[in-house]
Amino acid sequence: MANFLMKRFLQAIFVLLAVTLIVAFAIRLTGDPALMLTQGAGSVTEADLMLIRDALGINKPFFVQYFEFLKGLFSFDFGRSFMGGTPVSDLISKSLPATLMLAVSVMVVSIIISIPLGIKAAVSKGKWADQTIRIVSLIGLSFPNFWLALMLVLTFSIWLQWLPPSGMDGFASFLMPAFTMAIILTATNVRLVRSSMLETLQAQYIMVARAKGLSENTVLYKHALRNCAIPLITYFGLQFGSLLGGIVIIERVFNWPGLGTLAFDAVSGRDYPVLQAVITILSMLIVSVNLLVDIAYGLIDPRIRTE
Amino acid sequence: MSSKKYLTSVLKTLVVTSSLAAASVSFASTLTVSSPQDPGSWDPIDTFLVNWASVATNIYDGLTYRGPDLKLQPGLATSWEQLDNGTRIRFTLRQGVKFHNGESFNAASVKFTFDRLMGDEGKKGPQRSNYSAIDSVEVIDDNTVDFHLKAADPVLLTKLAGYGAMIVPPKYIQEKGEDFFNTHPVGTGPFKFASYEPKVGIKLEAYANHWDGAPKLTNLNYRFISEPSTAVAELQSGRVDLVIPPTIPIGMITTIEKDPNLKIVTTISPTVYALRFNTQNGITKDEKVRKALIYGVDRQAIIDSILGGQAAQIASFQSAISFGDDPTMKPLPYDPKKAMQLLKEAGIKPGTKIQIDIRGNDATFNEVSQAVASYLQMVGLNASIQPYETNVLLNDIIPAGKTGEMFQQSWGGWTLDYDNTAYFMYHTGEKWNPYDSDLALDKQLESQRSITDRAKREEILKSIANYTANRALEMPLYSLNAIFGISKRVKNFTPVPDSRLRLTDVTVE
Repeated sequence: MANFLMKRFLQAIFVLLAVTLIVAFAIRLTGDPALMLTQGAGSVTEADLMLIRDALGINKPFFVQYFEFLKGLFSFDFGRSFMGGTPVSDLISKSLPATLMLAVSVMVVSIIISIPLGIKAAVSKGKWADQTIRIVSLIGLSFPNFWLALMLVLTFSIWLQWLPPSGMDGFASFLMPAFTMAIILTATNVRLVRSSMLETLQAQYIMVARAKGLSENTVLYKHALRNCAIPLITYFGLQFGSLLGGIVIIERVFNWPGLGTLAFDAVSGRDYPVLQAVITILSMLIVSVNLLVDIAYGLIDPRIRTE
Repeated sequence: MSSKKYLTSVLKTLVVTSSLAAASVSFASTLTVSSPQDPGSWDPIDTFLVNWASVATNIYDGLTYRGPDLKLQPGLATSWEQLDNGTRIRFTLRQGVKFHNGESFNAASVKFTFDRLMGDEGKKGPQRSNYSAIDSVEVIDDNTVDFHLKAADPVLLTKLAGYGAMIVPPKYIQEKGEDFFNTHPVGTGPFKFASYEPKVGIKLEAYANHWDGAPKLTNLNYRFISEPSTAVAELQSGRVDLVIPPTIPIGMITTIEKDPNLKIVTTISPTVYALRFNTQNGITKDEKVRKALIYGVDRQAIIDSILGGQAAQIASFQSAISFGDDPTMKPLPYDPKKAMQLLKEAGIKPGTKIQIDIRGNDATFNEVSQAVASYLQMVGLNASIQPYETNVLLNDIIPAGKTGEMFQQSWGGWTLDYDNTAYFMYHTGEKWNPYDSDLALDKQLESQRSITDRAKREEILKSIANYTANRALEMPLYSLNAIFGISKRVKNFTPVPDSRLRLTDVTVE
């Protein structure tokens, strides 16, 4: 196990290096932040621009800038935002929890809904319950999430005035963004749980469990679910990664003060330090979620543990 | 006993009535404003974003003040006189003014502010270049300062009313440090800073000791919402009272107007739109062709249909409130026959290709440019539209002279002085002028920069406007209104053309 973890850890470091290098390089192709900052100014001379570039530290060669960035990573120092000079770590420490809380609540909502529904659909394969669940989840799958978000805002914020249309401000503000993301994930997850459950239910040990006279719930939730958990956990883990990517749009629509909003503003403002930091944090998250998934395998399936 | 009882009941009534009175006096009135962007720092020398000004105009004062009527008034300076041919300005300062932290405002704070702006701290930011005419600030006595200028700057008094020229507290900055000041601004303005959450919002409170009287609101909150539909949803749900520009697109105006609790308030703004020409290469090198293109496009129809009437035609590249606008100038009329005739005279064959470069993210202008393209189609040209990412177009394509025959230019500028447009658009070698070089025009542009006589200067600016229109250096399209969405609960709100909102008179029911 230790050997295995070590290997995965080294892989993770490699991925991080590659991602940060690409991002740091690519964002510098988009143009000069000094020009961006002085866009409304008009009377800016090249000498003024040089002073600003010096202050921002973008006059140095690319690799010097990149290594400074890497060095800063170890002390969680991502430099300062080009927009106003706030330390990037301050911005991250406010927006990372916001994004994580939203992402986790999306996953929890989605898993809580999709596992029982998926199992129900699998058990009643071909019957009306199965058909209904499949059709409803297909409809859920076909919603573009920004559209769904706007419809929810229209209904619950403008007509009924029950929920705040945007911002992060207490429990009520979580409902719409979490539900919007969850409904689309749930649609996929239900189908996934159903198919992997169907496969498991045909296994001989299920027949044995039933023959022993165990209750149907024990059979389903203890024996069957545990055995089809591995593909599910892999999938949920990967999904968490893509969820963090997809959350950018939802954060924008709901004006959620998270990493997505931060990244969006950073891209449009050519705010190199902020964008580098957000991408690094996101890729760290995705890499560590994948690592956790691997560890979870071992916990669920003793066969992998002993290998 | 009974007298005691009597006394207690009297006391009780007194307490009840006085607490009632206190309650009605201290009844908090809060205005919540949606602003599209967080500037990241509230330090006056750090930013050039108009949305910095829509907050900070409430926190700071300048030596001069310019309100919604666009007239220059005394601010922290009660009077001023221009000396030595405009190269020295003497300001008499207002007495008894205190910063929000209790520090006194005096000549030393003015000197500190401008030393800081022109010194090392200012060099890091974009504001310094605007005040480069200032050589030094000299303290004459506690209430008098002299500004020594490198050369006369006729726009300087206006510039002192905003942005980098806001007066900051010396002791506070020296004690707390630059970083702290960025996120905890202190000024002398009618509202004082309460709290700031990056990317979320900033909260201000009334500053009762403001020299111009306490504001009527007790709290002024700003929330940063960049997505227009989200900002409008907040307005509709009543959690935001005012949405300031640039947020609401033309397309959303009807949504707000249909809501019984909301209304749209607009005012003319300095923002102007034009399609500028490549005067160096291609068919637009020929003045006749450029004029033909202008005749060929019905600009009024575009304003009426696509822009919902929230714009006005312009004859030169400035809006009607710009200093230097000549109201006697008329835009070239829409005359497709004349356009075709001119094209024929210039030897342009039907079906000749013409490319229009635009900013891809501006949905409204996208429609405008499509309308322009189809008008040009009708006079026999084959017009195509090339959208670019805004920053690419502004920083790479236009300055490098890599545009098509026509390219979008939107321009504003809070000083509302045509110099700020004309010099950068037409002077040889300027970043925004990659194609044209006209020595006679250069001379005129330079000459007005050292004249402090307003009337004389205005004459020259007007003649520049006429000259550029005669040469048809661009297709002037329109000046766009500043669009505010506002709840009907808000009273006494005056829309400002330049985003420099000061909300002292506003009340909320």
